Amino acid sequence: MRHALAIARREIESYFVSPIAYAVLTIFTFVSGLFFSNMLVYYIRQSALADSMVQKYGYSDYQLDVPTVVLAQFFQNEAFMLMLAVPLLTMGLITDERRKGTLELLVTSPVRGGEIVAGKFLGAFGFLCLMMLPILPMFAFMGQGGAWEPGVIASGMMGLLLLGGAQIALGLFISSLCENVLVSAIGTYGVLITMQFIDTTTSSTQSYWITILGYFSFYMRQVNSTRGVVSLTDLAYFASYITLGLFLAQRSVEAIRFKRT
Amino acid sequence: MISVTHLSKKYGKFAAVDDLSFEVEDGEVLGFLGPNGAGKTTTMRMITGFLPASGGRVRIGGFDLYTDPVPAKQRLGYLPENPPLYPEMTVRRYLRFVAELKDVPAGKTKSAVGLAIERARLGEVADKRISKLSKGFRQRVGLAQAIVHEPPLLVLDEPTSSLDPKQRFEVRELIAELKGKHTVVLSTHILPEVSEVADRVVIINRGRIMAVDTPSRLSERLRGAESVRLELAAAGVAGDVLRAQVTEALRQMAGVSAVDVDLADGGTVHARVQSEVGVDLRAEAAAVVVGRGWRLLALSAEALSLEDIFLKLTSDEHQEGA
Ligand SMILES: Nc1ncnc2c1ncn2[C@@H]1O[C@H](COP(=O)(O)OP(=O)(O)O)[C@@H](O)[C@H]1O
Ligand SMILES: [Mg+2]
Repeated sequence: MRHALAIARREIESYFVSPIAYAVLTIFTFVSGLFFSNMLVYYIRQSALADSMVQKYGYSDYQLDVPTVVLAQFFQNEAFMLMLAVPLLTMGLITDERRKGTLELLVTSPVRGGEIVAGKFLGAFGFLCLMMLPILPMFAFMGQGGAWEPGVIASGMMGLLLLGGAQIALGLFISSLCENVLVSAIGTYGVLITMQFIDTTTSSTQSYWITILGYFSFYMRQVNSTRGVVSLTDLAYFASYITLGLFLAQRSVEAIRFKRT
Repeated sequence: MISVTHLSKKYGKFAAVDDLSFEVEDGEVLGFLGPNGAGKTTTMRMITGFLPASGGRVRIGGFDLYTDPVPAKQRLGYLPENPPLYPEMTVRRYLRFVAELKDVPAGKTKSAVGLAIERARLGEVADKRISKLSKGFRQRVGLAQAIVHEPPLLVLDEPTSSLDPKQRFEVRELIAELKGKHTVVLSTHILPEVSEVADRVVIINRGRIMAVDTPSRLSERLRGAESVRLELAAAGVAGDVLRAQVTEALRQMAGVSAVDVDLADGGTVHARVQSEVGVDLRAEAAAVVVGRGWRLLALSAEALSLEDIFLKLTSDEHQEGA
């Protein structure tokens, strides 16, 4: 555990001197703010509309469903942003160590492959948590308006973290296979976008095997979490993705056969 | 301290390292000498657990590196061919990270890092980013990370090969200081480098051990591998006849492997006598020439290049495996 924490800490420190990680952090925070203010404006408009209907007709048939519509949209937008951000955070995780020759240090230290991989995962996940932090004060600000569902917010945030964790685990595995960061990033984008694509297909086509593929997709699960509950199956689902990604990455780190340097 | 048995590495059909066996006693410094592409780095990577072997075993301090890697690796400090550095970190922070990886107890990390900085003479740059350091300093940081946990065994892969002469001298001095505190396996393609510090030298070429010897005995053998050039003349003997006589006379010396004789202008004869490894013919060749009544105009020993020496060791049946 000490090894994994040391590796995670070093990873986070290196994010903070990396221009790419800074750009990801800045853009993610900025766009989150944008999504958030959109959501706010939409909410204010809709409630103004409802108010005016009440004033005109004495009642409103317009039901403003804050938890499942407004918040759900916000979390789904955030999930999309995660898909864009995560490959940039994971592309170098193992690839850079190989390129710099520092993997030679890690592998010849009394550190197990599992500890290397766990440390890398924790480092990237820690940075992701830091990246999500600015969202919380936005909700605190909104909380004063009332009508905001803490349960939905909590489960939505949890869904994002689980999704991010699963994405990081897959990105970490892909990074362990690649000798070039660009290839690593493109490969991870490919996999993560495929997840989205499978899902879209499921909803429009009714082919049997596509429905099965749909079970593997991240996004339906994440959408569940925006409805105020993270079910045990959803949790188990994301946990299995994380475990799978870490397991494959560990095997790959332990089996690495080096090419000519 | 470390024992290597029947170690080999195959890339497809090509054997980069072929059935290597050797042992290093506690406190001994073993030089691993070979030309580029001999398989030094491949060997170092296998005995440190970085590269899986195609066959063979490695034991460090009694622990099998492949079945019991953690205790084996705890006893190991390793400086790869390219020092494994994180350029964005400061020297001190980097060494602390390495100390954590190498299981230095939490309470001792700080003093271990301080000591490594002192031993590698990094005091003046300890709080600088590694990316700002010169090549020589980076190599010293590489040495510091190898010794930060005071491992009984040090493996150094060509620690001076990419340095300029001044830096090379400094790093060599540091390595000399490591002697006595650690068992060292040191690879290089520079002969004087091992003869200075090593107790024993393994010569490796094309993945195979060519010779194992002490540096002094080895230098002796290699001195013998030099060829001798002679220039001589004889009054009243026709050039062609002289050439035949000289060839015959020189061939009769013991240990000669080849004799070339050319006629030069003015009736002098140039001869080149190559000998087997371990035979020095200078004195005897001079005696033969003078004994025949020829006039010896010049005699010089020609040093073989390292490549020639390895070729020689390879072509002769001088394989004294450990
Ligand atoms: N990944 C690899 N694939 C194929 N051949 C390799 C690989 N790595 C090294 N070799 C070959 O193995 C031989 C030994 O290389 P190396 O151990 O690096 O030699 P040295 O360190 O003594 O210069 C060389 O001929 C090299 O080309
Ligand atoms: Mg080498």
